[in-house]
Amino acid sequence: MTALAAILRRASTSSAGAVLVALLAGLLLMALLAPSLPNALAAFARGAFGTTYAVGASVNRAAVLALVGLGFILAFRANLTNIGGEGQLAMGGMVAAAVALKTDVAGLPLGLAVVLPALAGACAGGLWAGVAGWLRVRRGTNEVISTLLLSFIALWLVYWSVHSDALLRQPRTSATSLPESEDIPDGTMIGMLVPPMHQGIVVVILLVGLVHLAMTRTVWGMRLQAIGLNAASARRAGLSIPRLTIGAMLASGALAGLAGAFMIQGEQYNLKAGFSSGYGIDGLVVGLLARGSAPTVLVFALLFGFLRSGGIGMEIGAGVPSAVVLTMQGLVILAVAGMEFLRQRQARGVP
Amino acid sequence: MTDAILVVLAASTVRLAIPLLFAALGELVSEKAGLLNLSLEGMMLAAAFGGALGCFASGSPVVGLVVALACSTVVAGLQGLFSIVLRANQIVSGIGLNIAVLGVTTIAARALFGRDAGFTIPGFGKLAIPRFADLPFFGPVLFSQSGFVYAAPAVALLIALLLYRTTPGLALRAAGDEPRAVDKSGASIAAIRWLAILVTGLAAGLGGAVYSLADIHTFTENMTSGAGYLALAAVIFGRWRVVGTIVASLVFGAAASLQFQLPALGVDFLPPALLIMMPYVLALLAVSGLVGRQSPPRALALPFHR
Repeated sequence: MTALAAILRRASTSSAGAVLVALLAGLLLMALLAPSLPNALAAFARGAFGTTYAVGASVNRAAVLALVGLGFILAFRANLTNIGGEGQLAMGGMVAAAVALKTDVAGLPLGLAVVLPALAGACAGGLWAGVAGWLRVRRGTNEVISTLLLSFIALWLVYWSVHSDALLRQPRTSATSLPESEDIPDGTMIGMLVPPMHQGIVVVILLVGLVHLAMTRTVWGMRLQAIGLNAASARRAGLSIPRLTIGAMLASGALAGLAGAFMIQGEQYNLKAGFSSGYGIDGLVVGLLARGSAPTVLVFALLFGFLRSGGIGMEIGAGVPSAVVLTMQGLVILAVAGMEFLRQRQARGVP
Repeated sequence: MTDAILVVLAASTVRLAIPLLFAALGELVSEKAGLLNLSLEGMMLAAAFGGALGCFASGSPVVGLVVALACSTVVAGLQGLFSIVLRANQIVSGIGLNIAVLGVTTIAARALFGRDAGFTIPGFGKLAIPRFADLPFFGPVLFSQSGFVYAAPAVALLIALLLYRTTPGLALRAAGDEPRAVDKSGASIAAIRWLAILVTGLAAGLGGAVYSLADIHTFTENMTSGAGYLALAAVIFGRWRVVGTIVASLVFGAAASLQFQLPALGVDFLPPALLIMMPYVLALLAVSGLVGRQSPPRALALPFHR
């Protein structure tokens, strides 16, 4: 009996518990809205797992969320809350597209044609977050506010770049030419594992391991944790807080920027305004749920990747609004946020 | 620049600034008390939806307004539950509320108003003030607007008086700077913050209601599309002062209205995107102290533990 109570108590304060509660609420919502729940669930499953294409698209989405989530937990290690993943993603995608379109990288050998735009995207994302790090160090600006504002600026920069003929807009061959960039050259596209799953997935898996090692097994990771836990004593121990803060933000943004490059070079092949819409927030949620663990990021990224695809499938197949999935996500975030209360009570020994 | 365009520009500046102004003034009260509500966007969206719902069901825009305020207050209440009672991370719970409100209003709008957009509700019309409406320039800009425009100065005045001329206002501002001292003085931080967040909910509700009841007489999915975040930026750019917040809202309104008038003004070298992003750039400069001195409340976004 007490064992059961202990399990229940642990489940009630874990991310898995929060997700479970939100999923149940989502199921209830579906039952209310769908003419037939089995049909809705079948459509959901078809959208998420039904075809190789569906699975591939879900995995591609999960890869983006995982990178943004990794970036979030990395910065959070140093007690920096980077909520600007959306903007860093957008900057990464825009710069990757610009390098692919406006330079001659496409002809380069040894895979450089693919790698250079992706690296440029990662740098762009890193620098965008680095601005927030720099402002925090030099001006004491709260990084939550600055990354949020920088996100909006980035989204409108992308909008501008695809609306301006001088920048990335495709030539106006007819009156119906959309405000989008041209397709990037074939040479700069990321190859496929199993279409539509691209080879960036391998990089993402490697990065999960790398970030995990960096956070748990390196001096740098320990220093980030030190300034995160107690900046004052870390400073007394001789750590450079400015350097570590900016470094953490650069790395955090670079991961999101790389995700943006993967979206352009691996899936979408051209730049549109709003191409990153929703991915940054989803990635942030994934990072929050993972509670600092890189492998867990991967688990929640996959969950959310399949959830979104399933939601779209459900909308098309069973007429249940995909906003159900959106609501579920909101509930997951709220459950996780609210659980902090239970966790603190438990820490104080209140049953 | 012809006079006619100038009048249109000024009138739409006021019209676009008003919802921001309501929400930003409301948020100012919360932030002064140490609460950061990213859910301002959700409050506004809930109010826009509630306004349409109330009006759709009853045919009366007044009922719509009441339902709008009720909806935004519910969201504010939930944010209060997370920020004040559960002492949750205010940013995380704010984002969660925004996503949930977007999901719920989208589902509910489809279920209630039908899938096809284009339904209309009665809403509030323009209210021309006799005689004043005939004034050159000021007439069309200030005196032939919706009732919300005339209510805005009153709300601003009330909030300024609340913050700076009342005892609860003093305690409220202290709760955002030195919550521990307030607690020692015997006042309840929780009660003060609840008061603040309810004011925010009501004011944000007024702002959100403008969209569905005065601007366009309908509701569309994600109707506020980021206005709440813009209002947050206005508080920052206004450097946490009432007058600053009013000026910031007007500047943001001008930027928004200018983007629509640029072609008419024959300006084609200035990309509209630059104008739309300007509020965020200004807010970033302000919060970084690169223009003027910044003074956010010291306990902003920090849960209070006794």
